[in-house]
Amino acid sequence: MNGIHDMGGMQCMGPIVREENEPRFHEEWEGRVFGMFFTNFAEGHFNVDMFRHAIERMGPAEYLETSYYEHWLHVYETVLVERGILTSAEIEEKIASLREAGES
Amino acid sequence: MAHDHAHNAPPSDTAMRVKALETLLAEKGLLDSAAIDALVETYETRIGPRNGAKVVARAWTDPDYKKRLLEDGSAAIAELGFSGVQGEDMIVVENTDEVHNLVTCTLCSCYPWPTLGLPPIWYKSAPFRARSVIDPRGVLEEFGVELSDDVEVRVWDSNAELRYLVLPQQPTGTEGMGEDALAALVTRDSMIGTALVEAPAD
Amino acid sequence: MPTLTPEMVPGLVAGGASCRMDVDVAPKFKVGDTVRARDINPVAHTRLPRYIRGRTGRITRDHGVFSFPDTSAVSGTHSDPQHVYSVRFEGSELWGADANANACVYIDLFDDYLDSA
Repeated sequence: MNGIHDMGGMQCMGPIVREENEPRFHEEWEGRVFGMFFTNFAEGHFNVDMFRHAIERMGPAEYLETSYYEHWLHVYETVLVERGILTSAEIEEKIASLREAGES
Repeated sequence: MAHDHAHNAPPSDTAMRVKALETLLAEKGLLDSAAIDALVETYETRIGPRNGAKVVARAWTDPDYKKRLLEDGSAAIAELGFSGVQGEDMIVVENTDEVHNLVTCTLCSCYPWPTLGLPPIWYKSAPFRARSVIDPRGVLEEFGVELSDDVEVRVWDSNAELRYLVLPQQPTGTEGMGEDALAALVTRDSMIGTALVEAPAD
Repeated sequence: MPTLTPEMVPGLVAGGASCRMDVDVAPKFKVGDTVRARDINPVAHTRLPRYIRGRTGRITRDHGVFSFPDTSAVSGTHSDPQHVYSVRFEGSELWGADANANACVYIDLFDDYLDSA
C-alpha cells in the first residue's frame, strides 16, 4: 500500500527530537499495550504482517498524530472487531462503565 | 507530548481505552493480565542495551568471537543468551576507518529487541525514518557525528525480518581494559550507528 | 496456543517467532548479481518501499528462505517461502545528484520483489 507509513526519502518531517533518560514506557498504558501484542499474537489474532498492515490502514493524519503504542492499540481494536471477538459498542460500554466505577 | 504524572489526575482517554480492551479480553478468557505484568517487567528490567553492550565488549576482547559474530550474528549473540523476539535473525555490521553503519526502519520501527531493548522515541519518529535513507550524513550531524566524505556511510533499512546491530569501533587507548569496563562505554546509540563510542574522559 | 500465562512468557520472549522457513527453495539470484526492484503498487501489504521500486542494486548476501509478507499478511500464516537478499543501492541510484557523498542503502528484498538487470 502506498501509504504514509512508507516514509523513506521524505524531507518534510522536521528535526529529530530526542529525549534524555527516556523511560521504557512513558505511561502505564503503554506497557499494557506492549504486552497485549504478545497475548493477542499467542491467541492467533494476527501475525506480524497482519499487525503491520493494520497500522498501514490507519488514516494518514491519524497515523502522524498518534504515537507508536497508539498505533498498536489501533491494531487490536481493528483486528479484534474484524474477527468478531469484540464489537466497538462493547468497547465504548466498557469505557463508560469503567469511568462510572472510577467516579464512585 | 503532554504528560501528566500527578497521581490524582484522571486517566487519559487512551488509558481508559486500553483498560477497557484489557478488561474485556480478560473477561472473555482471551488474556491473562498477569502475563502482561510479566512482559512489562521483563522489558523494563532484563532486556535493554546493556545486553548489546556485552556483545560488543566481547567482540572487542575476543577476536574469535568477533569473527563468529560477523559471520553468524544470531548464533554468536545466542552464545551470550540474548536471543528471542525481534532478534531471531541478526546481522552484525562493523564500523571501521572506512565504513560507518546506520540502522533504520523506514516502513515501521523494526529494532533488535533482545540486544537493544525497545526502540527510543526518536528511532520511531517520522523525521528519523524519513531522512535516514536520503540524508544519513545530515542525520548523523544532528546526532553530533561528523564523518569525512572518505568514510562510506551504509544505511541498513530493516524492512524484512533481519535485525541489525552495529559493532562500533573500539576507542583508541582502551585496549588494555577488561570486558565489563569496555561494556560500560558502549551506548545504545553507538549500536544503532548514531554515535561513536568515546574513550573514558581521563 | 492456549492463553498466554506468566509461566509461558520467558519461553516466548527467548524463543521468539522467526519468519524463517525450513523449506528447500531455489534462489533466483546469487551474490554479485545486479537486480532491479520491481515497480509494484499493491493496495495490500508489502515490504518493498517506494524509494526502492524501479531502482537497480547489487546482491551482497543471501539470507536464506523466509515467509513472504505480502502473502502472509493475507493468509495469516507463514506462506510463499522464498529467498531474501541484502541488496546494496548506491545513493546516486536512489537520489540522483542530490544524494549524500559516498553513501548507500542496504535493504532486504525477496525474490518476488526483484528482476535481473
